[in-house]
Amino acid sequence: MKTAAPLDPISFIISFVTEYYPFIIEGFLTTVEMTFLGLAGGFVLGILSALGDVYGTKLMKVIIAGYVEFFRGSPLIVQLLFFYFSIPALTGLNWDAFTAGAVTLMLNSGAYQKGYFKGAIEAVFKDQLMAAKSLGMTFRQTLTHVVLPQALRIVIPPWTNEYVSLGLSTSALIVLGIRELTNISKSIAAQTFRPLEVYLFASAIYFLWITISMKIFDWIYEKVKIPGLEVNI
Amino acid sequence: MGEVILACEGLKKRYGDLWVLKGIDFEIERGQTKVIIGPSGSGKSTFLRLMGLLEPPTEGKIYFEGKDVYGSGLDLNMLRAKIGFVFQEPSLFRHLTALGNVKLGPKVVLKMKDEEAERKAMDALKTVKLEEWAHHYPAQLSGGQQQRVGIARALAMDPDIILFDEPTASLDIELTWEVIDVMKDLARRGVTMLVVTHELGFAKEVADEILFMDDGRIIESGPPEELLKNPKTPRAREFLRRLIGGV
Ligand SMILES: Nc1ncnc2c1ncn2[C@@H]1O[C@H](COP(=O)(O)OP(=O)(O)OP(=O)(O)O)[C@@H](O)[C@H]1O
Ligand SMILES: [Mg+2]
Repeated sequence: MKTAAPLDPISFIISFVTEYYPFIIEGFLTTVEMTFLGLAGGFVLGILSALGDVYGTKLMKVIIAGYVEFFRGSPLIVQLLFFYFSIPALTGLNWDAFTAGAVTLMLNSGAYQKGYFKGAIEAVFKDQLMAAKSLGMTFRQTLTHVVLPQALRIVIPPWTNEYVSLGLSTSALIVLGIRELTNISKSIAAQTFRPLEVYLFASAIYFLWITISMKIFDWIYEKVKIPGLEVNI
Repeated sequence: MGEVILACEGLKKRYGDLWVLKGIDFEIERGQTKVIIGPSGSGKSTFLRLMGLLEPPTEGKIYFEGKDVYGSGLDLNMLRAKIGFVFQEPSLFRHLTALGNVKLGPKVVLKMKDEEAERKAMDALKTVKLEEWAHHYPAQLSGGQQQRVGIARALAMDPDIILFDEPTASLDIELTWEVIDVMKDLARRGVTMLVVTHELGFAKEVADEILFMDDGRIIESGPPEELLKNPKTPRAREFLRRLIGGV
């Protein structure tokens, strides 16, 4: 499709999807992949920094606070550019845009997830920690058998929000030239001269993906729910 | 004279500038039940937490079966497993059923096999008359039932002694009885118990000794009939008059 055909929007969408669908799928999968990488990495970072913040030393708390402030207090796009360009300059280590993007998303999401996990860990009240101690449980046993099973359940609703927010934020990866859904849409819009339909279509994909994912998380939440364990954090 | 299970010498505890315990000597023998009474803020809970090895003393020594707990490199968790603790608030693990709560210690700390831990837990739940509630979560139980699960959780560890910190203080009167009855039953079965409570009926019936705590010290102690009827110190006399008078 080299010139903009005078088609009505619906017919146009059908025709461009037919023509460009491999790229759209590629873009969508990259978006999903980046979201999951960011969430998974952020999950580990989030739990560790929450544990460090609740149970750690003064120094650990300061380091964690600095990390969280940096990532929550600056725009994601700036973070992406910063890591992509400054790490090679500082360390001589060269990395591709995809790795730089994934790592930045992990760090960024970890900073947000830390807050959710901290709330969830603190919702496991001190009296239960004392009870675990009185049974002779070690710190690690208390963590695996008392704190985490509760915190992981409590954290599902806020974590769902983080999923939505991070999933939509992956469009910022366009600044690194990563071929995710927004970037692909921009190329198609530029080639077809029909931004309205192309971006509308892209928005619909984001919307469907997020809505279905949220339904799945809600289902998981209901599935693992325990009476009396609902806590608002 | 029986074997002394838990004892302390010159026990002191300070929080910041505040000396909460100012020097306590105490011992309890296997099979005994001792009751601690005393005004709010006198340090009863602190004393119990220290004897339960949940917090270290600032000064003084604690002995478990004759061994200096903090002085001889003992594994504190191993000792804590032998000292049961029942808290004022039920403090149950909220993601586990009654059975799960009682089973966790035997399984994780005593490393019992699942079936063995479960049998142990069911026995303990029977002792507190809750076997029919085994599969309910804490939020589905009344305060008194939760507190009895807490007792079962301590019992299932086969402890040498159980410490109770005002286990009925947060319960309504009707629920108090079911907990007190279970505790009387345990005392009669020879479970060694150190109990902070103001249920004087319990003290009269099963206590070998009552200790009166005031301002971080045990200022008077004796058999229930004696201490409750004829307190020697003015502080104890005043305290009991108010307690019984309900003022
Ligand atoms: N962890 C703590 N940090 C600081 N002060 C504490 C701590 N625990 C207890 N205290 C203080 O120690 C004093 C004694 O408290 P404790 O709870 O032992 O008294 P109590 O006799 O159990 O009182 P109550 O009958 O109200 O339960 C109080 O002044 C209390 O504020
Ligand atoms: Mg108290």
